Amino acid sequence: MKPSIHRVRKSQLSRGMKYLVALILMLGAIMLYLLSSASSNTPMFARDLPLLLFFGVTVVLGLMVLVGYQLLALRRRLVAGLFGSKLTLRLVLLFSLVSVFPGVLVYAVSVQFLNKSIESWFDVRVDKALEGGLSLGRTILDNMLKDLTSKAGGMTQALADAAPSQQIAVLNNLREQMSVQEATLFHPDGTIIAFSISEGAGLMPRMISPTVARKVVLQQPYRAVESEVGHGLRLRVVVPVNKLSGETGLLQLVQSVPPQLARDAETVQSMYQDYQELSLSRQGLKRLYGLSLTLGLLLALLSALSLAIVFSERLSAPLSVLAAGTRAVAQGDFSQRHPVRSHDELGILTESFNTMTTQLAEARALLLRNHDQLEAAKAYLESILAKLSAGVLSFDSERRLRSANPSAEHILGVELGPFIGISPDQWGARDGRLVEVGSAILDAIDRGGNEAWEEQLELGSQSAGKKVLLLRGSTLQVGSESGFVLVFDDVTRLLQAQRYAAWGEVARRLAHEIKNPLTPIQLSAERLTHRLADKLGAQDAEMLTRATQTIVAQVAQLKGMVDAFSQYARIPELNLEPLDLNELVREVLVLYEAHGRGIVLELDESLPRVEGDRARLRQVIHNLLQNAEQAVAELSRPRILVRTQRETAGARLAVYDNGTGFPPDILARAFEPYVTTKARGTGLGLAIVKKIVEEHSGTIEIRNLQPAGAEIAILLPALREQRAAQLADANVNAG
Amino acid sequence: MLALLFALQPLAARAEGMHIKSAELIASETGYSLEANYEISLSHTLEEALLRGLALPFVIDFELTYPRWWTLSLWNRTVAELHQQHRLSYNALTRQYRVSFGSLNQNFDTLEEALGVIARVRQRVVFTRDEVDADSIYIAALRLRLDTSQLPKPLQINALGSRDWNLSSDWYRWTFRP
Repeated sequence: MKPSIHRVRKSQLSRGMKYLVALILMLGAIMLYLLSSASSNTPMFARDLPLLLFFGVTVVLGLMVLVGYQLLALRRRLVAGLFGSKLTLRLVLLFSLVSVFPGVLVYAVSVQFLNKSIESWFDVRVDKALEGGLSLGRTILDNMLKDLTSKAGGMTQALADAAPSQQIAVLNNLREQMSVQEATLFHPDGTIIAFSISEGAGLMPRMISPTVARKVVLQQPYRAVESEVGHGLRLRVVVPVNKLSGETGLLQLVQSVPPQLARDAETVQSMYQDYQELSLSRQGLKRLYGLSLTLGLLLALLSALSLAIVFSERLSAPLSVLAAGTRAVAQGDFSQRHPVRSHDELGILTESFNTMTTQLAEARALLLRNHDQLEAAKAYLESILAKLSAGVLSFDSERRLRSANPSAEHILGVELGPFIGISPDQWGARDGRLVEVGSAILDAIDRGGNEAWEEQLELGSQSAGKKVLLLRGSTLQVGSESGFVLVFDDVTRLLQAQRYAAWGEVARRLAHEIKNPLTPIQLSAERLTHRLADKLGAQDAEMLTRATQTIVAQVAQLKGMVDAFSQYARIPELNLEPLDLNELVREVLVLYEAHGRGIVLELDESLPRVEGDRARLRQVIHNLLQNAEQAVAELSRPRILVRTQRETAGARLAVYDNGTGFPPDILARAFEPYVTTKARGTGLGLAIVKKIVEEHSGTIEIRNLQPAGAEIAILLPALREQRAAQLADANVNAG
Repeated sequence: MLALLFALQPLAARAEGMHIKSAELIASETGYSLEANYEISLSHTLEEALLRGLALPFVIDFELTYPRWWTLSLWNRTVAELHQQHRLSYNALTRQYRVSFGSLNQNFDTLEEALGVIARVRQRVVFTRDEVDADSIYIAALRLRLDTSQLPKPLQINALGSRDWNLSSDWYRWTFRP
C-alpha cells in the first residue's frame, strides 16, 4: 500500500510543520514584545537593539522560507492533481485575503499616523521660540557680562593708582560701589594680592587658572558665563591692571546671575537641548517605529499565511482521505475505515462513509459466502453426476439440451458439449451418429408429457452392434423454469446376461429331464436285442438289431447333446494355473492328426503365458477346431490355420478356415446358444467358447474373411508378472 | 623599577576618527599607570549633534591579559580591566564645552581643548604589582570609543550602520613584561 505510507509520511510532515509554525510564531511574539519594550527606554534592551533587530529579521526570513516551502508543497500537490488540493488553495487564498487586507490597511494607517504624529512634534514656531528664548538668555547674560566688564574697567584705573597698602581698601570700596559680589586682585602668577567678598557670597575667592592668567597678562581680558552644577550661573571677568610701576595685576570680578534668571535660562536651555535631541532622533524614531511596525506586519502576515495553509490542509485533509476511500471502494476495497476526528459535518460524513463501507463489506461477504456454498453444492452434484454410470441429460422448456454428464457422452459415444442449446431433432444434422437417438429422445419426451416415464430404446442394427438404452424421463420444475430431465442406462449387456442366464437354466433342466429316461431306453433296446435275437428269424433279427442299434446310437447322440447342454449350463468353477497356449494347442492337435486334414500351425514362441483352466481352455481349442473342420468338411481343398500371437494385452489365438463363412444374420449372434448353420450342430459350441473365454477375462471376436472363410480369435490376458515383463520389453524396444 | 616602553609607529593622520599616538604602562611604587595619547576629530554629524546639546559618552577600554596559547587566545585570562567614561557636552547658553568625568566637570571655550582632555589618557594605578608576575609576558590592549549604546534609542537607530556615528579606535595591543 504505497499511498498509505505516503499518507503517513505526509501527516508526520504536516505535524512537524505545525510545530515549526508554532515555534516561529512564538519567537515572533517574543521578538515583537522585546522590540516594543525597546522602544520605551529600558536600558536592558538598549544595548542589544541591533541584536534584537537582527533576530526579528531572522524570524521574518525564517517565516518567509517556511511559507515558501508550504506554497511549493501546495503547488506540487496541485500539479500532481491531488484531490483536495484545489480546495486547499482556495481556502489559502481566502484566508490570506482575510488576513492580508486588514493587516496592510492597519499597517498603512499606522505608518501614516506615526509619521504624522512624529512630524507634529516639530514645529517651526516652537523651534523659533526656543531659539529665541535661548538667545534672549544669552543676550541677557552677555549684557550682564558687558556690564561687569565695564565695571571692571572702571575699577582698573583706581586700582592701578592705589598704593599696594591701600589696595584692599580700594578694592573693597570699589566692590561696594560697583555692587559686585566678589572682587579679587591677583599677581600675574595667580597668587592673591587682595580680595573682597560681599556678605553671603562665600568666604574664599575663586582661584584663577594659569591659562587665563597668562592670557590676561598679555592684555586679553577674560570674560565668561560659568555654570557649575548646583551653583547656578556665574559671571566671571578677569582684566589686567596695568600699574604705573609697570607691574601687571589681574582683577577678577565674579557676579552670580540672579537665581530666577539662571533657572529660567537653564530651563530654556535644557528644553532647547531636549528639543534638539528629539529633532536629531526624528529620523531614528521614525525608522525604529517603522521597522517595528514592518517587522510586526510581516510577522503577522506570514504567520497568518502559514497558519492559513496549515489550517486549509487540515480542513481539506478529511476530504482527500474520503476521496481516497471512495476510490478504494470503487475498486472493490471495502476495508477503508477512517477515524472520525471532528464532530462537524465532515465528521458525520466520515462516519457515514465508514458505515457505508462496513455495510458494503458485510453484504459482499454474505454474497461470497452464499456463492461459495452454491458452488460447493454444485460441485458436489456435478461430481455425483460425473460418477453416475447412468447418462443424465437435461433439457429446457424448448427441448434444447442444457447439460449432459460424462456418462451420457460415454454411452452415446459422442462429445455432447457442442450440442448444448440445441434441440435433439437438430442433433442428427450435426452428427450422423445421433440421428436415431435425437429423434427417439424427442419422441419419448413428447410421449411422456408431464408424467414421469420409462422407456426402452433399441439403437443400431443387428450387424452394427445393437445398443439397448433404458430411458427414464420426467419434467423438471426449477423456480419459474421448466424443463425435462432424462436418465438413461446402457442395458445391452444386462439384457444379454439375462438371456444367457435364462438359457443356462433351460439347458440345465432340459438336460436333466432328458438324460433320465435315456439310460432305460438304451438298456431296454439292448435287452430287446439280447432276448429276441435268437427267437426271431434271420431277417427279423437283422431288422431288430438295426433298429436297436439305431436306438442306441441315437440315445448316445442324445446323451452327448445333453452333456453339452449341461456343460454350458454348469456353474463354472475354474481351476486356474499358468498355461502355455502353444503347448495346449499342440496337445489338442494330436487328436486331429488322424483325420489327415491339413491343419497348419503358426505358433509364436514368444507367446506370454496365461492364467487359465487347462481342461476348459482345451475344450475351447477343441470347439474352435471342430467348428473349423465342420466348416471345411465339404471342400475339396480344406485349409485350417491356427495362429498364436503375442499382443500387448496378452496372448491371441486365432483359427482361420477357408469355408463359407458366417451368413450376416448369424454373425451378430454367433455366440448365442442354438444359433447354428449346421444341420446337426447343437448351436452350443461357440456359446461355450465365449462363456469360457469370458470366464478367463478374455475377449472373443469373429469375422468373415475375403474371398471366403472366417476367423475366430480369442485374446487372453497375460499373467500379471509376464505382462509387466512384456511391457518393459516393449519399452526397451521402443527406446 | 623598569617599565618597558614601546615606541609607536607613527600613524597616518586622518580627518576623522580616533587614532592612537602613543601608549605606555609606567611603573611606579604602587603599581602601573597608563599613559596614552589619542588624536580625536569629530565628524560633522557628531559635531552638529554636540552643538545641538547631545552629550557624547567616550569610553576608554583597557585590558591586560595573560595569553594561553592552547586556547588560541579565545579565553585568555584577564589580569586587569579598566573602563572609563568621559562625557563631552555643550552648553548652548554659556557656549562652553564641558567634559565630565564622574562628578568632576571641566569647561572649555573650544572643542579642541575639550577633546584634548579626552584624548590624553592619564590613569593612575591601573593594576598593582601584585597582580602581575614578573616572569610572564602579558598583552595589553587599549581602545577609545564613542559608546553609542548610551545614546538615546532613536539615535542608536541612526547610529546603526552609520560611519558618522560609529567613532571608535581600533584595539591597540602591545606586549607587556613587568
